[in-house]
Amino acid sequence: MEVLQRVPLFADLSEREVRQIARLFKARRFAKDETVVKEGSGGAAFFVIESGEAAVFIGGKKISTLKPGDYFGEIALLDEGARMATITAASDLLCYGLTYWDFRPLVEANGSIGWKLLQGMSKMLRAAREG
Amino acid sequence: MKRVVPLEKACETELYGSKAVGLGQAIRDGLPVPPGVALSGSIVEAVAAGEESAIKQVVKWVTPLGGPLAVRSSAVDEDGAAASFAGQHLTLLNVPSAEHLSSALSDIWWSANSDSAITYRQRVGLFTRPSVGVVVQTLLNPDAAGVMFTKNPVTGDDERVIEASWGLGEAVVAGIVIPDHYRVDRSGGVLERTPGLKRVAVRGVAGGGTVEEKVPAELVERLCLDDSRLGELHRLATRCEEVYGPARDIEWALAGGKVYLLQCRAITQAGR
Repeated sequence: MEVLQRVPLFADLSEREVRQIARLFKARRFAKDETVVKEGSGGAAFFVIESGEAAVFIGGKKISTLKPGDYFGEIALLDEGARMATITAASDLLCYGLTYWDFRPLVEANGSIGWKLLQGMSKMLRAAREG
Repeated sequence: MKRVVPLEKACETELYGSKAVGLGQAIRDGLPVPPGVALSGSIVEAVAAGEESAIKQVVKWVTPLGGPLAVRSSAVDEDGAAASFAGQHLTLLNVPSAEHLSSALSDIWWSANSDSAITYRQRVGLFTRPSVGVVVQTLLNPDAAGVMFTKNPVTGDDERVIEASWGLGEAVVAGIVIPDHYRVDRSGGVLERTPGLKRVAVRGVAGGGTVEEKVPAELVERLCLDDSRLGELHRLATRCEEVYGPARDIEWALAGGKVYLLQCRAITQAGR
């Protein structure tokens, strides 16, 4: 609950709404160097990081590092396509995950979450165009 | 429904999955199955979500089993006609006790919701919400274990084919040894005994998990089973066919001088 309140994606939700969606998230631990998601694989879940760091690779090249409060995995859930990046645990990692079957109704029911996801993807698109 | 029942009372596949119901049926028919409980998919999901009441309920049921435990997934559509989830969903051997069960159940729940499991589901046209029941049983410490086909899965001949190795059967299932190979005819006569090359045995370790242990040199090529044990396995095969029907794929273990049934399913078209 406290973790989700700190996640910018859910910042506009009321405490009651955060409590509701917190029930849908499940903790998942990854050991250091473990692959969390793999580029090209089908996507099962969306994750927010509670503790630890994760490294993002595209085509084998490191793109960025994710930290507590960051989220990942939403794109493959939105288009039911393949993962666009490989993410590995840069340290022991504790995430809270939401599966496709809970993620979709959550986004459909919460315009503010959908809007923030769009903003996040717009940023990614712009960054990709700017090289 | 968030339910835990003794294995022998697991009757509803849609709640507990085919593995749990299959083992429940085996116990009801008097087959030698290690004691255990079946957890419904809903209670496994509740435990993975950290629901205290669900965790307490599971611990209450599992504590009498003692430890160590074998915790096996039993997906509702696992091993069904359309697709097999073997290899997708996790089995955890040697979970030390009921107190360690929450993280084991969480790992199993996530294995059914992993990217690889979902990719597999998409490929076989089963892109639906997975439900994973679980079987928790007392973990045996077998002298030998392996698999048995009640009908030859390669030639189709009407004979038992048995593969055996030292320790837990995972050495055979995971293909990390060349197991002993036996063929037994319908009357129980031994047709073939070919020793394997069993350099390692999978064993439980204190504190949880399993380890590949080096097998003493004199046992590497020694047969695990004598004719008397082969006779017991033949009788187990006969009973399994009486209960479940012909052409069965059986996982078995020999512990404390007794043969146990760990799993029984239909032989798939391509064998294992």
